[in-house]
Parts: sequence; structure tokens; C-alpha cells
Amino acid sequence: MKQLDYKLLLFVFFLSSIVFAQQKTVTGTVTDGDGLPLPGVNVVVKNTANGAQTDFDGNYSIATNKGAVLTFSYVGFSTKEIAVGDGSVIDVQLETAADELEEVVVVAYGSQIEKKLVTSISTVSNSDIQDIITDSPQNILQGQASGVQVFSSSGGLGASPTINIRGTSSIGSNTRPLFVIDGVTLGDSFTTFQQGSGAGINPLASINPNDIESISVLKSAAAAALYGSRGGNGVVLITTKRGNKNGRVTVDIDVNTSFATITDTPDLLNSQQYIDFTTLIRNGSAVSAGPLTDAGGEFDALDAVLRTAVSQSYNFSVRGGNEKANYFIGATREDIEGIRVGDNLERTSFRTNIQANATDWLTATLNANVSHNRFDRVPNENSFASPYTIALLQRPDVEPFDENGNFTTTGNVGGGNVIAQEALNLNLATTTRIVANGSLDFNLSSLLDGLSFKQDVGIDRVFTENQTRNVELLTPGGSAANSVFQQNRYILNSILSYNKNFGDKHNLSLLAGYSFEDNQFRNIQASGTGFLSDAQQNIESASTFPLTSSSGDANRLVSYLGRATYDYADGRYILEGSVRRDGSSRFGANNRFGTFWSAAVGWNISDEAFMDNVEWVQGLKLNASYGTTGNDRIGNFPSLGTFAGNNFNGNPGLTPASLENPDLQWESTTTRDVGLTAGFFNRRLTFNVEYYKNVTDNLILFVPVDPTFNNGLNGVNQNIGELENTGFDVTIDAIILDGSNDGLKWTSSLNLGFNKNEVTSLPETSSVDELGNRFVDRTGGSLAFSGQRAIEGFSANSWYLIPYLGVNPQTGDAEWLDASGNPTTTPVAADRRIVGQANPDVVGGFSNVFTYKNWSLNTLFNFSFGNDILLTSRAFTENPISGFNKTTRVLNVWQQPGDQAFIPSPDSPTINTFNQNSTAQLEDGSFVRLKNVTLSYSLSDSLLEKVFVSKVRFYATATNLLTFKSDGLDGFDPEVSNGSDGNDAAGQDFFTLPQASTYTFGINLSF
Amino acid sequence: MKTSINKNNKFSLLLLALMVILTTSCEDKIELLPEDLTASDVVFSNGALALGAVTGIYNRAQQDDVLNGTLQFSTEWQSDNVEFIGTFTTFGEIRDYATLAANTSINGMWDDNYEVIGAANLVIDNVPLVQDENFTDAQRSQAIAEARFMRALVYFNISTIFGQPLQVGSGVNNLSVPLVVSSELGQELPRATLGQVYDFVETELLDIISDLPSNTRTLANQGAANALLARKALYEERWTDAANFANDIINNSFYSLAPDYTFYDSPDSPEHIFTLVNDAVNGQDTGQGFSGLSNPVPGGRGDVPFSQDLLDAYAAEPGDLRFDNLTQTGPGAEGADRIFTNKFPEDVNNSDDAPVLRVTEMYLTRAEANFRGGTSIGATPLEDINTLRNRAGLADLTSVTLEIILNERRKELAFEGQRRMDLLRNNLSLRRPGQPNEASSAPGMDRTIYPIPQSVRDLSPFLEQNPGY
Repeated sequence: MKQLDYKLLLFVFFLSSIVFAQQKTVTGTVTDGDGLPLPGVNVVVKNTANGAQTDFDGNYSIATNKGAVLTFSYVGFSTKEIAVGDGSVIDVQLETAADELEEVVVVAYGSQIEKKLVTSISTVSNSDIQDIITDSPQNILQGQASGVQVFSSSGGLGASPTINIRGTSSIGSNTRPLFVIDGVTLGDSFTTFQQGSGAGINPLASINPNDIESISVLKSAAAAALYGSRGGNGVVLITTKRGNKNGRVTVDIDVNTSFATITDTPDLLNSQQYIDFTTLIRNGSAVSAGPLTDAGGEFDALDAVLRTAVSQSYNFSVRGGNEKANYFIGATREDIEGIRVGDNLERTSFRTNIQANATDWLTATLNANVSHNRFDRVPNENSFASPYTIALLQRPDVEPFDENGNFTTTGNVGGGNVIAQEALNLNLATTTRIVANGSLDFNLSSLLDGLSFKQDVGIDRVFTENQTRNVELLTPGGSAANSVFQQNRYILNSILSYNKNFGDKHNLSLLAGYSFEDNQFRNIQASGTGFLSDAQQNIESASTFPLTSSSGDANRLVSYLGRATYDYADGRYILEGSVRRDGSSRFGANNRFGTFWSAAVGWNISDEAFMDNVEWVQGLKLNASYGTTGNDRIGNFPSLGTFAGNNFNGNPGLTPASLENPDLQWESTTTRDVGLTAGFFNRRLTFNVEYYKNVTDNLILFVPVDPTFNNGLNGVNQNIGELENTGFDVTIDAIILDGSNDGLKWTSSLNLGFNKNEVTSLPETSSVDELGNRFVDRTGGSLAFSGQRAIEGFSANSWYLIPYLGVNPQTGDAEWLDASGNPTTTPVAADRRIVGQANPDVVGGFSNVFTYKNWSLNTLFNFSFGNDILLTSRAFTENPISGFNKTTRVLNVWQQPGDQAFIPSPDSPTINTFNQNSTAQLEDGSFVRLKNVTLSYSLSDSLLEKVFVSKVRFYATATNLLTFKSDGLDGFDPEVSNGSDGNDAAGQDFFTLPQASTYTFGINLSF
Repeated sequence: MKTSINKNNKFSLLLLALMVILTTSCEDKIELLPEDLTASDVVFSNGALALGAVTGIYNRAQQDDVLNGTLQFSTEWQSDNVEFIGTFTTFGEIRDYATLAANTSINGMWDDNYEVIGAANLVIDNVPLVQDENFTDAQRSQAIAEARFMRALVYFNISTIFGQPLQVGSGVNNLSVPLVVSSELGQELPRATLGQVYDFVETELLDIISDLPSNTRTLANQGAANALLARKALYEERWTDAANFANDIINNSFYSLAPDYTFYDSPDSPEHIFTLVNDAVNGQDTGQGFSGLSNPVPGGRGDVPFSQDLLDAYAAEPGDLRFDNLTQTGPGAEGADRIFTNKFPEDVNNSDDAPVLRVTEMYLTRAEANFRGGTSIGATPLEDINTLRNRAGLADLTSVTLEIILNERRKELAFEGQRRMDLLRNNLSLRRPGQPNEASSAPGMDRTIYPIPQSVRDLSPFLEQNPGY
């Protein structure tokens, strides 16, 4: 019917053209590259005011004359000009303007086209991350950006990974980068309800990877200088998806199911091996422990606490709009199972991004994200309630059930019975987070051409409740605890900007702004013990109330910022400078304000006349920058001398809590950065290399003081000390096959971050080691022990341990190396030395994408070389004299001269000291991991034409499919980080749950 | 169009004005103070706050490493009373006579005891300076006396573990702990000798005794000062002084032997001279104190069952109520059932009180001192021992030996942290023949005392390390 109308109409027009000869009406349909109609395209007769727009079906009609030229223009597409000939139907296909519009990179408080970028920024686009399956948003950066090191801290759910951008930039403060989402700086220093050691609740868990359009990682100080006192660790700018401006409505649906299993576990003794081994050892003359009673059972605890986890994810989004208004609305629901029993996470999140171009001088934007996580938790690592820890320690002859199948108590390890604990106890964290910002963008061209003003107000509100309830069997009388944490964060940004071209070649951008941030934290805790029944859920029903507490904390930041960018001849030469002045409530009364600044230059060499004839290289660019940033992550009142409230026998009391330092100020990082970019073979091969030298001084250290002579206090925060990170970031992208021959397309991308970390100066009052080097002990997180130090002249994460030699085949004694280089059976603290470092020499990623017809294969490797890991848990799982289970490594016991044994003779006194912390637990942490493989198939267009769908894509993703690591890491994961924050040791394992291998099957639909 | 531009112009100016106002109004907002911490200079600005700082000393002494069990139990499994079967490798080192200078548990004991000393020094130095006319001289004197008592108690306790006792080595010249008696920061004092620490404790206690209250068992008091002097005199083998100090307490009607063994968590019992009150709200702090370590799983950690030797000691005379009424059986840390003490049974909130000084010890001290000194101040040794045996449901003896007195002392005070010094000062090995590491446990051996913690010596290298560490 429609076709008939159309032909009829054509006929009418044809008649008209005969009648009116020169004056005629041209009609046609405008489509995009895929042949879909484009509504709202401007159709103008060139050099006249005569114009029309295409309708919803892409049709237009315009009166014109033969010989006139029609201009078809539309945002995001190349403009096309067509002369009107004899015909009166002109159908036009517009090409997307990818080649003409240069790639735009999100930068601090704005955006910049890639060509004019003069600071060091790595970008990750939606296509790079759409196949990454993770519950920790930080993980999507893993292996994706040069110089960005991301280590998962645990295979458990909700674990917060460690991110270091260009090395460890601090010793005493948190090294986590600042996260900014659509201009809202996110709070990430709130209570995470850590249970055991290792990761608490990931403070960024509310970010939905499906909402992310692009990520910019600001690596150099010049790039991050506009974030001032918080830019020192780098800044991660996340931009979420926007609506369409072309009038099209796109609906995307993604549904997937995952199956996950653990990648590796140690081999443990079975019941018979355990009894035989323990008896052998305890018969030794040097062993104190009494004889062992065989409990008579056989139980594989590891098998009982691990599982194949099945997870589901549903994601829906719709985007649409036109030049007046556009929207993106997204919703996600995920039911995630962890590979440990009891580890479950349900996430629901919504996002609305709306932009209204209300008038020619006002644009209003609202970005809002609401997320709700319901996290059924499992304690980690250094906890008797951590199932994985207990599975490695639980005696294999002790069963968690009696003969009737009822739970029993099985000994202290496992809070009585870790299987029962997960089955019966409640341990639940529910978090609601709202991150939203609204802005009004005023075009003030009427006042001054190129002037605009943006007022932005944001909030970041977190509400977390952690609820536990232990049953009678595991805690006599039962116990309950509730903690409620709230963060109320308010951010105000006022930005005045000015962009102007002078003459043909001079382009100037200016930005001036003011920013204010207010963070309020509230914490309410209560607990109760002594219940009548396990059915009573809440503290109300308890009889004793050990804890009733509320506390509050706050910090504020007030800032002034400015940036000027000048470029000549479309970016042939570029100059940029920025400055930020921050005032913070966190710092000493004498140093509340600090100023941070940067300067950068860029030279697009390929734009020079002398390069006109140089064919073999394209886009050659050199840039250099210098800048300063700070780090303020040291708690809220680190400079005050205080007493803390406490009580005794019902009376309120006060005890010394901290020593004062009114001069305390930020850590300051100065970066020198030089970058070179070049393309070859018509940019099929592009190469970017950056050299940097970051000097961080005024390091805030909790300088230890001897409590003996300082009223029992252990240290004072001081700005003292300096460290350097130097290195290269290298990125190579190649289009190896462009699909022009047989349709096979192969692109490849390699990124490498080389880094050397050195502590160049520490306080004069520092501790001095046996060799005369100053050092600061890294704390072990919640572990009492850390073998790690920041040592002057060496890495900030140096391992400092007694070297272990092995069991002497003749004597059966375990032997270590003493300070003078001789074997000893009684090593002392003075025998420790620097034996390695936790910082990798190089980290990176290697990705390859193959597409052939409807098929696509995406592979991503990530890797790390040169770092050592301390497997502290082996001090337990290889402790011959303990009553706990062990790994099968211990079965090789010295019995007679000549034995090449792992465990010393039970008659040797060293059987008691064998497991002391030494290099016996230190292993090479280098690894290469096949992080992600995704195979996908998209249905062909010819099939899709028959249904109301524009895209159908099936995909299968495997995560952590293969891991290449040293033999010493058998049973352990190369990605460990017990205590990744502040002064904690890096690269230390303590019963860290290894990563999961995940297999995901899903489907994408678009219509 | 024209009008809209004008409007726009005015609007723009308004915006700029608004921006100027916003940027100039926020700077003073960054002057923030913490909500829940008190600035150090405010604490000693009035009497109420200063008395809070005195309460704070007791709070610090409630740490498990000070008076609430970790330190006390560690000496029990270093001796012959207790078998440590838990996971803590740092505790295992002490059990195995394989302690390293880097032992973090011992570091905690040092650190936490010096926290009490530091909190006491601050009170002692600052209370006289408080500008508050309502803060009376009597209040000030008592506040300072309580602080000085707690400081003396802690010095006496740590002198027993960080240096060799009087009976071995060079006696009073054995190195003990640094004697820090002022709150001035950053002093550098070498380790004092045992004689200097003992003199300090004696002088302090005698000096403050009249300023201490006499009608309390839960705060520093006159009786506690006397009882500590008795214990000290016994350690110093000043038999007459020891018997006299103990006799003073026994003759004080404020104190008397409890009729049975239910007094442990009853702070009003006349048994107690000084008991540190713990409750569910504020008690033992780490779960590795008296209650946490000594109760079977799942309530406690099940780490410290009776040693076979201690079981044998009670089994030698069946019907001993100190065993029958004060033990429990349950799963130990390794899973199998073991026998545990029941002196600290509240394992959910760890709220059992800490026995610091109780009158039973005074009977035992008087008996031993009279026996060794050949006196019978207050009563004969036989009478004192039979008094205690009667309470325990055992028959009278007709004569006593030192061995019998020490055996009664062991059975009365087991799990209270006295056994180690009772052996060492009598020149007895910490372990009995047949127990592991017996040779290493002989008096004077290196690992019968603890190291000066490595992290302390890293910061204060002038503190001499004990031999063997």
C-alpha cells in the first residue's frame, strides 16, 4: 500500500516537473551506512535559505531548480552535496564521520581531541570492556592501559582490587587513584566492614560496567593537576553512556549466565597421611606437642567449601533523542555466586542520563545512578570464620557432622565449624548508593563570543548496613551485631570556560573554576549476646549488649582551578598550563592550602611542511609535560594530638590516641613526562611511548616512634621522605589484516608499563637496618607479620627476610644464611636482608581481535614480571609441628643422612623454627594470564531483516582460562594482596582465595 | 531576539556575581575538628577530664597483654601448667623455647604495658597543673597515687618477663626494662637493672600508700600496694618482710578467704584485694585473653588445656575442689576434647574479671616466707596450708615441706600467671622431667625470658638485647 502511494506520488511529481519545467520538487530518502532511514537530516539548497528536514522514515521533499546543489548535513555524519539533475528522486546514503571527526578524549573538567592532547592519558572504550565479566569495576582496567597495574586481591566476591598507576606513589597513604564518574569525584574512603584480612566491601562496587561509555586514565601529573591534592595516584575518569542525537531509539538487551570454578588449590593431606605425618613428627625428640588422637573421620574440607558457582546477569538499556533532548536509561540485575559456599551477591542498579538543550543558551543535564547490593558475605583470609582458610587448616580426620548428620563443633579452627557457619549464620551487607549530578550549562556568547558557564552539583550518598547473627551451636547463647555506615558527600563545581579562534590559526581555550566538597560520615554500631532462640533475629531480643556506639567524621575541600590551552595551526603547536589551589580540613593548621600546577607542550610534526613528502610515517607527535599533584589520603585528622574516649567499669575515660604535627601537609608528586606517537602504513601500525619520572616528596609517613619513650604511642604523621617512580609506558596497536581480501580482520594491541620504584630519602629519625639503610616497616594489614619494608635506596616494597637454604642432607637440620654468609640453624633478626621486591618491573596486556564475517574472537592476556610474593599462609600449611592440616609438600621428611628432604628431622630443634618467616615462603610472582577469551557470532543482516531486531549477538567468554606462573606458586594465585591500602605490605598472601575461572554464555539484542 | 539577548546579558552578570559569592563564602568551612577525639591540651584543662585520664589508665591495663591474660597465660605454657595447642605461631615459639626477637605477640606485650606507663606518666605530670579550683587537693593526690600504683604494678610485671630474676646471673645487676617515669617525649634511657626497678617499685608504693583509698577492691588501693610489696619481698627472698606484708592483709578484716571458688567474677568478694573488672561492654580486648584462650570451642579458642603434669598434680589427691569445681571438658583447638580451666567461663563477651591480687596468695606467701625464714608470723606454715586445703575439701596435713607449699601454691594459682616466677625464684626448671624442652627451661637459660622486641630495638638500638636473641 505504502509502495503504491509512493509511486503515485512520484508520478504526480513527474507531471509537475513537466508542467513547471525549471522549478521542480526533489524527493528522496536519506539513510545511514547500514541503510537505515535517518530522520531529522537537514536538506538545504546551497547558498539559499531554502531548506527541509527528513521525516521519521528519512523522507524529504524540497522545491528547487535543476542545476542547484543540495546539501545533506547531519550531526555525526559527513556532509554530502549533490547537484540536482534531470531526475526528481535523490536518495542519499550518509557516511558516519569517523574519519572527519577526530576522536575526542575525556580530560579533567572537559574533553580534548586526541590530536591536541599533550598530557599522558590512556583511554579504554566500551568495545574494550564489553566482554569483561567481573563484579569489581576496577578489574575492567586490567591489562587494558599501559602503566596501569590492577591486581585482584581475592577470588572472593566484592573484593577491591589494588590499582597502581605508574608504580607505588606513596608509602604511608593510600595509593588508590581518584575515581570520577561524569564529573563527580567518588568517595572511596568509607568503612568497608572488613571481615578477616584482605578486601572489605569494594567501595566502587556500585559502578555498573554496562553503563560505561569510556574510561580515561590520567597518568601524568600534568593530566591530573586539575585534581590537585588528590591527583597524585592518577585519576580514572569514567564517562557513562549518553542518549542519541539522531532521533533514533536504540534498545539493548544483554543476558548471560556464568559458571565459575577455582583456578588452583594446594594439595592437602588426607586423613591417613595426616595421622602418619603428625605421629612421625611428634615422636621426634625435639617436639613439645603431645601425642595425637585420631578422630577417626575423613573429610575433604576444601571440596566442601568450594563450588561451581552459577551466576546470571540481565542488562537492559534504551537510548534515544534528537538535537533538542536525549536520554539514556539503563537497568541491571545480577545474581552472582562466588566459588566459596555462602558467597553471594545480588546487584540491582539503574541509571538515567538526560540532557535537554532547552534554549540556544541553556543546556540542562541530569545523570543519576541508584544501585542496591545485597551481599551475603564470607569472612576472608585472617579469620577463623574464613571458609577457605579453615579448609586448608582443618584436620582431615575431624568431620563437621555427627553420625546422624547433625552439625558438630569441630575445634577452634572454623569458629567451631565453618560448614555449619555458612549454613546457619547470617552475615549480610546491604548497600544502597546514589551518585547523581545535575548541571546547567549556559552559553554566554551573547556576552562574549566563546564564553560559557557551567554550574554542577553532585551528591554521592552511601548507606550500608552489615548484619550478623551467629547461632547457638557456634556461639553459646547466640550473638548479633549490626553496623550502619553512611556517607553523605556533596560536590559543587562552577566552571567558566572560553573558547575562541583568532584569525585562522590561533585557537585559545581558557577554563576557570571553583569547587567545594563536603564529606560527612556516620557510623552506628550495636551488638547483643544471649538469645533464647536462634529464631530471634535482632539485637532487641538479646540479654547482654556489649556494644552500643555511634561516631561521626568529616572532611572538606575547597578549591580554585584554572587551565589555558593554546594551539597554532590546528594543533601543530600546542601549549597548555593548569593550576589548582586546594584547601583541606585534613591538614595541619599551618598548611591548610596547597597549590598544584602543570605545563605541557605538544608538536604535531606531521603537520609541518617539511613532512609533506614523508610518506612512511603519519601522525607523528611529540609532547612533554611537567606538573605537580598531591595525595591527601591519610585519614581525616592526621595532624592533631588527641585522646580517645573509652571506659572502665562503667566510668568514662580518656587515653592518648595520637601525637600532634600542626605542620602536616599533602604529599606532592612532580612528574616529568615525554611522549612520542607515530603511525606507519597509513596508521595500520601506531606506536606510542612515554617516559616519565615521578618524584613524590613530603611523603606522609606514620613515622614509628618507640612507645617506650612516647607515652605508649607508636608513631606520628610526618611529611618526610621522598620516592621516585621512573619508567616507560608503551602502546602498540596494529591492524594486521584489514579484511580487504578474504574478510578476515585481525587487530592486535600490546601495552607495557615498565616501572622502577626507589625510595630516595627517609627521615633521619627512621629505623636503620643492619647494613645502615634507613627503612620504614610496611604493616601487614590485619596480619601481625609483614616481611616488607620501604628501604632508602631500594624499592618501597622490598622484602626483608632471612634467606632460607633448605634441609642439610647430612644433619637433617633446616639451615638459613646468617649475616656473614654462613649456614646457621639458629638465625636471628640481624640475619635478615633484602631478598626481593613486591613491585613488578613490567606489567601489561596483549589483546587480539579477529573478525571474520559474522564471527569475532577477542583474546586478552595480562602479565606481570619481576615481582616476588610472600606466601605467608605457608608458615601454617607447612608447619610440621602444628596440629592443623598441611599441604602434601610436607610429606618429604628427613629420616637419614643423604635424604634430600623438605621437612627437617623431627629430632632437630629446627623442626620448631622451620616455618619461621624467611625466603622459604617467598616466590617469584611473575605470571602471564589469559584473562579473557570471547567468541561471538552475530546474525547476518539478511536474517535480521525478517524480524524486528537490528542486532543479535551470541557470545561465550572465558575468564582466567590459562595461567602461567612459577612452580612455587602451585596451589596459589599470583594475584594476591593482603592489605592493599596505606602502609600495608603489597604482594603478601595469607590464605588468599585464588581467582575463579569463569565461563559465560550470553546474548545481546538490539532493536 | 533583541530582548532575549538583553535578558541573557543580565542573567550572565547575575551568574558571575553568584559565582563570586560562592567562592568567597566557603573557605572557613575547612576549619573542622574531630567529633569524637579530644585534643591533648584540652584533657588536662579541668578536673573531670583529668579524672577521665585516670580511668583511661585502667582501660589500658585491661588490654589482654597487660592484666587480662595473654601475658599471664604465655608464662603458664612456658612453664609446666599448660599446653598451648592453638594456631598462633608466636605463642607456639614461646612454648617451644624457639622465641625470636621479632615475635609480634611479645612486641604487643611490651607495647601495651608501656601504654599503661605512658598514660600514667601523663596523669602524674599533668594533674598538678590542672587549672580548676573545683579539683581538690585530695582528688589530685588520689589520682596521682592511683596512677603511680598502676605504673609500679606494670613495671613489676614486665620486670619478670624481660629480664632474668634475682636468683640467677648477676642478681640485682641483671638488666631489666627502661624505667620511664616522665611523659616527656623522645627520652633515650638505657635498660635499668632489676635492682633499680625493684627499688623504684618499693619506693613508689611506700610513698603513695597513704594517698590510696582503702575501701575498694576494683581500683588501686592500700591493700593492693601491701600485697604487691609482699609478692615482691617473696621474689627477693626477704622472708620476714614478705610474711609481714602478707600478714597485714590477712589481718585486715576487709579481706578474707572466700568460702568456695565462685569468687572469680564477683568483685565484691572479700577474696579480692585488687581485681580488674571486665564487663561485656569493656573487657578483655582481643579474644586472646583469659576467657578467649581458656574456654573450649566454640565459645573460646580452646588453645590452653591443662598439661598432663598439672592433671597429674591434682590427680595425686582426688577430691580437690580446685579441680572438681574449676574445670570443664570440651573440644580443643585441634578438635579433640580436652580439659580446661573454668576460672574464666564467660567466653561469648570475654567479660570475666582479671584476678590481680587475692588473699589466697597472701596465705601462700606467708606460709612460704615463714617456712623459709623459720618464723611463724601470724600462723605456722602448716596452719596456713591446712586452711587452704580445707577449703579445697582435702584433709589436714601433719607437716609441710617447701615442695608441699609450692604444690599448693601451684594448684591454687594455676592459670593466673604465677607459676613461672614461683619456679624460677626457687631455682627450678620451668618444665618437669619428661616434658619437652626441659633443658632449655632451666633457670638462667636464655629463652626462659623474653627478648626486647626487635621493633623496639630497631627504633631504640641503645636498648641492649637479651643474650640468645
